[in-house]
Amino acid sequence: MNTLDFSIVAQSWPYLWSGLVFSLSLTAAAFAIGMVLGTCLALVQHFEVPVLAQVVRGYVAVIRSIPLILVLFWFFFLVPIVLGYLSGNGRPVPIGATFTAFITFGLFEAAYYSEIIRVGLRAVNKGQFEACQALALSTYDTYRHIVLPQVLRVASPIILSQTIILFQDTSLVYVLSLTDLLGAASKLAQLNGRLVEMYLVVALAYLAISSAASQCVAILRKRYALATSR
Amino acid sequence: MPQETVSGTAQAAPIVVVENVTKRFGAFTALNDVNLRVGKGEKIVLCGPSGSGKSTLIRCINHIEKHDGGRIVVDGVELSHRLADINSVRCEVGMVFQSFNLFPHLTVAENCMLAPMKVRGISQAEARARALGLLRKVRIQDQADKYPAQLSGGQQQRVAIARALCMQPKIMLFDEPTSALDPEMVKEVLDTMVELAKDGMTMVCVTHEMGFAREVADRVIFMDRGCILEEADPETFFRAPRSERAKGFLNQIIH
Repeated sequence: MNTLDFSIVAQSWPYLWSGLVFSLSLTAAAFAIGMVLGTCLALVQHFEVPVLAQVVRGYVAVIRSIPLILVLFWFFFLVPIVLGYLSGNGRPVPIGATFTAFITFGLFEAAYYSEIIRVGLRAVNKGQFEACQALALSTYDTYRHIVLPQVLRVASPIILSQTIILFQDTSLVYVLSLTDLLGAASKLAQLNGRLVEMYLVVALAYLAISSAASQCVAILRKRYALATSR
Repeated sequence: MPQETVSGTAQAAPIVVVENVTKRFGAFTALNDVNLRVGKGEKIVLCGPSGSGKSTLIRCINHIEKHDGGRIVVDGVELSHRLADINSVRCEVGMVFQSFNLFPHLTVAENCMLAPMKVRGISQAEARARALGLLRKVRIQDQADKYPAQLSGGQQQRVAIARALCMQPKIMLFDEPTSALDPEMVKEVLDTMVELAKDGMTMVCVTHEMGFAREVADRVIFMDRGCILEEADPETFFRAPRSERAKGFLNQIIH
């Protein structure tokens, strides 16, 4: 085996960087879509909205029981066909790999976040609701100002852990021929033959980002534990 | 009817009228045909063994529990199942809970400001001024920007009283406000309540603090098994309870 040569990494840094930027933007977008949609899905179940609650339960159950990579395939290959049917001319309507990735990750994460938030909603102390009732707060104000902020605080370590998993899962976009951090490294490695260096550096990048996020989880846990002591 | 002789004011201007109210939890009857009139400015202490329905009764007055039968009229508004009626009643009825139920993610001042701003529609500046004024009244203004978890139990309960008062209610309900407190903190909360009573607030208190009852109560009401068994002025009640159950109860709490 040849000696390691990390100069290759320095040379290919711009390409790796663009891959990392893609991974991070996909994570951020999926987080944003997932949290907003996930909160809505959780509330629909929490309030037992007729019919809709059943639909949401089915959706969450399906998404959570199939691998993300399959959901990506579905969206990439099936949605254009369905859109083709709907548009009437029968020809598949391509929706593009990047669009597929953002939408799929957002919808996929929404199912996971909604479960976290749903459990969090059930954990809110009954006394909090009674205090809101006694103060004549509307249901909207109760959830907007009292219940959801507490749920998000309590669930923040779990939500962040899920987001770390999401960040690592973004590497699956290679099946859509998109170039994320891992994809960039893998393409470079095949071009220049420096597999060990490339994969090592990428592993370190994932490690650094994920462990920094894990540190945040620990800080959040601690802060929350302090806030509820007594 | 004993209340007519004890409290003429209650008849003159009742602010709370409870008529033939029944409440069931499944097969358990928590309130069985309860009648109560509370006059403006009157202070009532509800006592009785646990499970006697006293907490359920005051929770029905602001519709945190829904009564199954009978009529409840608060400040001229009958509690129906219309949300508008319920909320207009709740605006006039402050409640203090055994477990404080402060909002842990908001500061003391924010706890006091939220409902006046959202429900009464006052400005943030006005809400803050009102909150600080009432926090000063319960002698806790220097803690205004702390979080509830940083306060002692007694301080938290005083914040809860201030929070309820910020809505400028006409009636205050207290549901065992000192039961969850360490003994040395009971007095500071009771002192606050006594002060409130002297200001003329209409108060209905579920409590076993007999010193408090003697000091401020116009009437003591003894409940057992969902019924009002006795009502009398505190001196009469403590000196000469009529029912055997009240005698037994008083023996247990006054060692």
